[in-house]
Amino acid sequence: MIELIATAESVNQAKSLLSIGIDTLYVGQDQFGLRLPKSLTMDEIEEIVQEAHKFKKRLIVAVNGLMHNHHIDDVPDYLSKLDQIGVDAITVGDPGVIMTLQELNLSLPFIYDAQTMVTSAEHISFWVKRGAIGAVAARELTLIELESIQNKISVPLEVQVYGPTCIHQSKRPLLSNYFRYSQKNEATDKDRGLFLAEPKDPETQYPIYEDQNGTHIYSTEDLSLMPYLDKCVQKGLRTWKLDGVLLQGDRFVRMAQLFVAAKQAIESGTYSSAAYETKLYELQPTNRPLGTGFYLKQPGDVQ
Amino acid sequence: MGIKMKKPEILAPAGNLEKLKMAIRYGADAVYIGGQDYGLRSRAGNFDFDQMREGIAFAHGHQAKVYVAANMVTHEGDSRGSGEFFRTLRDMGIDAVIVSDPALIAICMSEAPGLPVHLSTQSSATNYKTLEFWKKEGLERVVLAREVSMEEVREIRQKTDVEIEAFIHGAMCISYSGRCVLSNHMANRDANRGGCAQSCRWKYDLFDMDHVATKQSLIKDDDEPFSMSAVDLAMIRHIPDIVGAGINSLKIEGRMKSIHYVSTVVNVYRKAIDTYCSDPENYTFDPAWEEELWKTAQRELASGFYYHIPTEKNQIFAKPRKIPQYTFAAQVIDYDQSTKMATLQQRNNFGVGEEVEFYGPGFIHHKQVIEAIWNENGNPIDRAPNAMMIVKVKVDRPVEPYYLMRKKR
Ligand code: SF4
Repeated sequence: MIELIATAESVNQAKSLLSIGIDTLYVGQDQFGLRLPKSLTMDEIEEIVQEAHKFKKRLIVAVNGLMHNHHIDDVPDYLSKLDQIGVDAITVGDPGVIMTLQELNLSLPFIYDAQTMVTSAEHISFWVKRGAIGAVAARELTLIELESIQNKISVPLEVQVYGPTCIHQSKRPLLSNYFRYSQKNEATDKDRGLFLAEPKDPETQYPIYEDQNGTHIYSTEDLSLMPYLDKCVQKGLRTWKLDGVLLQGDRFVRMAQLFVAAKQAIESGTYSSAAYETKLYELQPTNRPLGTGFYLKQPGDVQ
Repeated sequence: MGIKMKKPEILAPAGNLEKLKMAIRYGADAVYIGGQDYGLRSRAGNFDFDQMREGIAFAHGHQAKVYVAANMVTHEGDSRGSGEFFRTLRDMGIDAVIVSDPALIAICMSEAPGLPVHLSTQSSATNYKTLEFWKKEGLERVVLAREVSMEEVREIRQKTDVEIEAFIHGAMCISYSGRCVLSNHMANRDANRGGCAQSCRWKYDLFDMDHVATKQSLIKDDDEPFSMSAVDLAMIRHIPDIVGAGINSLKIEGRMKSIHYVSTVVNVYRKAIDTYCSDPENYTFDPAWEEELWKTAQRELASGFYYHIPTEKNQIFAKPRKIPQYTFAAQVIDYDQSTKMATLQQRNNFGVGEEVEFYGPGFIHHKQVIEAIWNENGNPIDRAPNAMMIVKVKVDRPVEPYYLMRKKR
């Protein structure tokens, strides 16, 4: 069984994603979760969980933020509410949230997601012993490492197969600071659509924006494991995330649909990647190159 | 005379044995060092086991502690041998290890019980519940994320009794620690395994794109490019807050920094903390402390996240203002009271006629014009040009071994 997880930006998009065959939806609120396509209200989350359950699908809610005191004060109520409306699992990266979960004695399971830090089986096992039912792998891992990790742990390892990945989070408003410094009047939010280019590589284009959790910078390419999906399955990597944080509306749904089709083809043994790759390139926005990130590198390439 | 305050520990970086000893001589209560493995400063001088033993003997002889940073975020296979490593550290008398990776924490706890574990700032601990979690896991201390405000530190202190360590001085990542992989993506170097290429300090273009990917830069010809370079942290003006907030250990950044830097910074904070704690009610901030810090500062100084979210004033965009810097010129190795002659080991070229400054532990300083220099054979020379050469100079005021001599650049 392959599980396809996709972010959802609204109730409507969530419904579309369920109807095309996405197994698990991923949503949240900016106050508690990191880098979501949109911050949803509790009512919206409740509606989505009901929809998902109608389809016998799951909803995971992001509670993976780096919590400051005032966040953690609000976490117990938030977790209780998520539990009460029947959310299937949450992602967590801050041990304070895990502590809170234990204290509240909720049945809400958690998936460990400390982003860049989740890089070994032993690390994940530490959290599995403390109740984690899954883990989100750092995007900086190679397929060789991912396979090794998945073989050693008893829970599913979530691997991002499509979308941009965050490579820097600062609590500082880095864009606002720069604009104030250079006396420019510019918006800094995600919709403004700003990019950075490296000094020595003007072709690079790292998306950058600010939200209430600080400044976020993304990879220059969108990850796509489309050509290697069957390889992932052989390696035991069967929990796949599609991240639509920078791809809105129907376009993301169509992208997700392509991955659903690929998944079904793999499950029925009829997958051949070429056709899917062509389609993928058609759907992919022209201003976002595709790449494989660290997946195809050797573990020793980056040290 | 008012009530005395309990003194927090001053924790200094030590890139090698010489720096370790100097930091302790200048007043550090504890030092942190790197071993040959599992650390984050692959390019900082790291200690082998024999050097560690010597460092521990020296530190413990001076009632100081030695911590080993093993704060790498391990990948598959990286933790191999770490149980043995932690046991060796424990058995030789290391006072604690500083770890961020839960894999290494678990290994240390099970393989080297009795060795205290501190959570590294790399884990970005930002709330009281997280500290409580790690306390429950058996950790003795948590190093706070640099993003925590003074208000938040106070609240954390109220809500948990696990030891708190916080940075008070030095360079800072502009990201949440551990959450920046710019260097992995841009330079194939793993920031979380000690390879960071400081990509944040590069100069970037900033642009938008239309849907056909035509780029339009926001940076006009005479604009400074976009950058993410933070000024350094310095909490010297806020000693009462720092002590009052109940932080147990005050950490100075900089295992890569020079002896000159470490001795100067430790000397300043030692003096300020002692002054405050001996009589908090009548304490006043002495501008001379800050002036002293400027002598080895490498960037502008600010208070990080303690009082507000850093603004553009706490970042570096243009060419930085030239900070009046001093050079480490020599170390005193002997002093003869009857002849008023100091024996010096040269560290940077200096000569007759130059004004230098001697400083020593206890915040002692005096200026001196070099009137004559004698080489090892007792012959007068104009300059001391060779690294580590031994010379004698006459000084007006007494000095002691381990006083250092600096001169303006
Ligand atoms: S690039 Fe800068 S912010 Fe990122 S890890 Fe390195 S020093 Fe820290």
